[in-house]
Amino acid sequence: MNVDRRIIHVLVLVSALFLSLMAYLTYFELFEKDKIMTNSYNRRQYEEEEKTLRGSIYDRNGTVLAKSEIREDKQERIYPYGSLYSHVIGYNSKKYGKSLIEAKFNAYLLGTNESSLVFNLKNKLTGSEREGNDLYLSIDHELQALASKLMGNKKGSVVALDPKTGEVLAMVSKPDFDPREGKLAENWNNMVEDEEAPFLPRAIQGLYVPGSTYKVVVGAAAIENGLDSRIFEDKGAITVDGKKISNAGGKAYGKINLKTALAVSSNAVFAQIGAELGEDKLKDISDRFGVGKDIPFDLPVGQSSMQYKKMSKTDMAAVGIGQGKILVTPLHMALISAAVANKGVMMRPFLVSRIVTPEGVVLKGPRPGELYQVMSAETASALKNMMCEVVEKGTGRNAAIKGIKVAGKTGTAENELTARQKDKEHAWFIGFAPADDPQIAVAVILEYSGSSGGKSAAPIARELMLSWINRKK
Amino acid sequence: MFEILSSLLKYIFTTVIYFFIFSVIRLIYLDIRSINNRLETAPGKHPYLKLINRRDSLSFKVEESYILDNNKTLGRSSKNDIAIQDPYLSSRHAEFIIKGDSYYIKDLESTNGTRVNGMRLADDMVRLDNGDKIQVGQLTFIFVKEY
Amino acid sequence: MRILPNYFKPLYAVVLINIIGFLLLYFYRKPLENTTIYMGLIVIALICLTYVLIIKMNMGDEYLFLIVSMLISLGVIMLYRLDKELAFKQIVWLTCGIMLFFLSYYAYLKLELWDKLLYCYLGISLVLFLLTFLFGRHIKGANNWIAVGRFSFQPSELIKVLYVLFLASYRNDPDKLRIDNIRLKGIKLNASSQLIFMAISYCFMAFLALQREFGTALLLFAVYYTFLYVMGSKVPVMLANGAFALVGGLLGYFLMYHIRVRVDVWLNPWKDIANKGYQITQSLFAIGAGGFFGTGLGLGHPDFIPEVHTDFIFSAICEEMGIFGGMAVILLFFIFAYRGFKVSLTVKQPFDKTVALGIAMMFAFQTFIILGGVIKFIPMTGITLPFISYGGSSLTTGFISLGILQAISKKSL
Repeated sequence: MNVDRRIIHVLVLVSALFLSLMAYLTYFELFEKDKIMTNSYNRRQYEEEEKTLRGSIYDRNGTVLAKSEIREDKQERIYPYGSLYSHVIGYNSKKYGKSLIEAKFNAYLLGTNESSLVFNLKNKLTGSEREGNDLYLSIDHELQALASKLMGNKKGSVVALDPKTGEVLAMVSKPDFDPREGKLAENWNNMVEDEEAPFLPRAIQGLYVPGSTYKVVVGAAAIENGLDSRIFEDKGAITVDGKKISNAGGKAYGKINLKTALAVSSNAVFAQIGAELGEDKLKDISDRFGVGKDIPFDLPVGQSSMQYKKMSKTDMAAVGIGQGKILVTPLHMALISAAVANKGVMMRPFLVSRIVTPEGVVLKGPRPGELYQVMSAETASALKNMMCEVVEKGTGRNAAIKGIKVAGKTGTAENELTARQKDKEHAWFIGFAPADDPQIAVAVILEYSGSSGGKSAAPIARELMLSWINRKK
Repeated sequence: MFEILSSLLKYIFTTVIYFFIFSVIRLIYLDIRSINNRLETAPGKHPYLKLINRRDSLSFKVEESYILDNNKTLGRSSKNDIAIQDPYLSSRHAEFIIKGDSYYIKDLESTNGTRVNGMRLADDMVRLDNGDKIQVGQLTFIFVKEY
Repeated sequence: MRILPNYFKPLYAVVLINIIGFLLLYFYRKPLENTTIYMGLIVIALICLTYVLIIKMNMGDEYLFLIVSMLISLGVIMLYRLDKELAFKQIVWLTCGIMLFFLSYYAYLKLELWDKLLYCYLGISLVLFLLTFLFGRHIKGANNWIAVGRFSFQPSELIKVLYVLFLASYRNDPDKLRIDNIRLKGIKLNASSQLIFMAISYCFMAFLALQREFGTALLLFAVYYTFLYVMGSKVPVMLANGAFALVGGLLGYFLMYHIRVRVDVWLNPWKDIANKGYQITQSLFAIGAGGFFGTGLGLGHPDFIPEVHTDFIFSAICEEMGIFGGMAVILLFFIFAYRGFKVSLTVKQPFDKTVALGIAMMFAFQTFIILGGVIKFIPMTGITLPFISYGGSSLTTGFISLGILQAISKKSL
């Protein structure tokens, strides 16, 4: 019967399917397996782990941020501050592996790196418990907690650095998550498929359009090319090759100089500057600030980029105001702010300050180093003055602190969502204080917030800088 | 100690699983073969053996009829053309032989013997006629030859 | 001594497997617990009892339950090794399942009305869908569980069976679906039963997709499409349906984040190995760790895989029982599916034929989809491995399907 014949065809199909399963399984076992079994995420290699008490992680003052305790014959990783350090320290889970600091410094925390082997041998011979090394981060716990509190439920990131040394004082990314073992298991699937990406460490991996904060970079090039002595005519808007670029609110500022233009964040003026500087100078200044290059850090950092093969006049104008095909990480923006603060020298950022053995021997100490010589000290100084004007008289007034000179720049960035939806701009603020002897440089971004940088991001930066400066006294 | 036990037993474990698979496949294969031995062509073309016993009184599988279109051996072993799991059959019990137009049965030195119409067979072949009763093990067949 | 009939030889193998398995499990955990031995004996007793009943009462095909019993044994042993509590629950579900098996066997055989209940099947399915929308709870990324007190159950499992019954009753009496001259707001409506049938089938799949049950939706489509083929649908119909599904799939890929994630992870799980690719890469590590004979029960680390007791239990089997163990499981499912197809071929009545075919296809495709996903042959979907994965809903509906298949096999004798 016809139907029976077709049933047999389906049976043949099913046989083929099952046969292919068996074939693929065999193929995998014979050929693919060896390539992947040495992957660091294959925990079977690390069965020794259980036998060592994993090292603790502290902030710069000795506050415990992560430690291991033995509960009922098993090691458990404790995070006293829960989600606060989820995007700095990461997690150490039997089921889900390790992330961020727990992953990158795993060998140190287990005492299995080369320099620890000497100590391990001694332990083996004396028969004492094996312990891993402890990490001391450059993070200041109070500052980190404050930054997180100030962000509240908003999404985005806050990064605070010491501009003279490159130490990361605070690094908050939101949304965050609870890194403890039990909570991870409960929420894993939801979080992995969550469109808000709670696992993304936005401070170092989030790539955003910088908006007006990039005018600091453009401003540096402008100063170098003598544009700081020019008077510009701000008519509220400018048309470049048929494309209109207007100021926020369409306000016309009339005849202003570069300093004022930065203070009021004039798009008309900076678009003109961008077009005037031209492709080569824009690419050059961006490169000197580290755009398009990898940032060496204790954690993997996304690369900021300015993706243009050839730039049209409108492209140059867009870059002039920090729009267009530019993407930056919050960490990078903090570094840019720090470079201005540190007389034009961008220091290499680092998170792990000291690594100490259980016996108290310091295996690695903090070694600040220069990353880029971005601009001359004179340019930096001029730029700094302009950024002070931003806070004193311009869009950054909400970052002002009584009795302390604060430098900064606001940004309200249009992005891929703002074309079709309202209130989706990124709210940025970068800055440092005190301007004459900078102790702290910050970058704040509230993504898709719909608010302006001056209104929402600047106050957060203000509180952070104030808190740090007061404590440093 | 557990590690040694588990490491050793894993080989036995795997072997048993495959033994299972193969014995199931074998049983299915035998099933298919015995269906093929059933009456396929129209009755009357070839002689056949018709079972007298009630099938559901037996604890083993046996067909209602077996066609004799060729020389056929009968016994417990699966190597026989007519394989029946009757414990009272020997592994090779009897053979049906065709010579021209005539059909013969021969006992293959079975333990419990083969009877035709009540008479136990000796070494020789006995010619079968329509209606002959054949007893092997617990089974009774009638030899049907309708032309 | 009377030689026992041949049917019992494979049964010895199943019993032996349970003995070896539970013996190892007994020594695996310290302190030694007698409950392990009792559990093993319960499993052996359940299997032997059911099998003997099937043989003695001539309840149709002998091999279906035999194969399932081996799969169950492997599943329970592995579950016990992973988590004692889950194994206990699974054994409880096993007992329920076997009772349901006999129940559905007799119900299908004795009650002559199953081919007439087309509207019922649709109605119940609709009710189940509505209940899930209204009361469904988000568990582990899919909104498809209904909780009643302490028990939670997955209606989508039941819907699989209902869909097969719907298919068969449609084939039996297509006219029940035809719309003739119904007035809707003054417009005369006319639709052929074939069109209505297709529409309803796609509605099933859409509802499942909305609940994020992509695996079950895919499964239903596979069964639906092969059903169209077996029914002798013309080439244009097949092509149209294929194109429609392709478009639907592509739309799903581009519009639904979840589907995109799964496909991307299938193509390159190493890129985001820490998060999105974590599960599947851990599964691959486990499969590779066992070699051909496995590490031995209790000596591997299948607990490194998330969801190892449900979706990824096959990886655990490959790790501790080896590639040979994994192959054995695939072979067992294949023989089982073959047996189901054979029942469908031998039975004469069209309704029974279609039901048997549907059930066989359901098991076959489901197994292929989940095993394929777990070894990264195809993208991962969240469906269970029949009879082996932990899960009350999966196990009980599996036995109900088995009972129906068993009943049909009896009819074909």
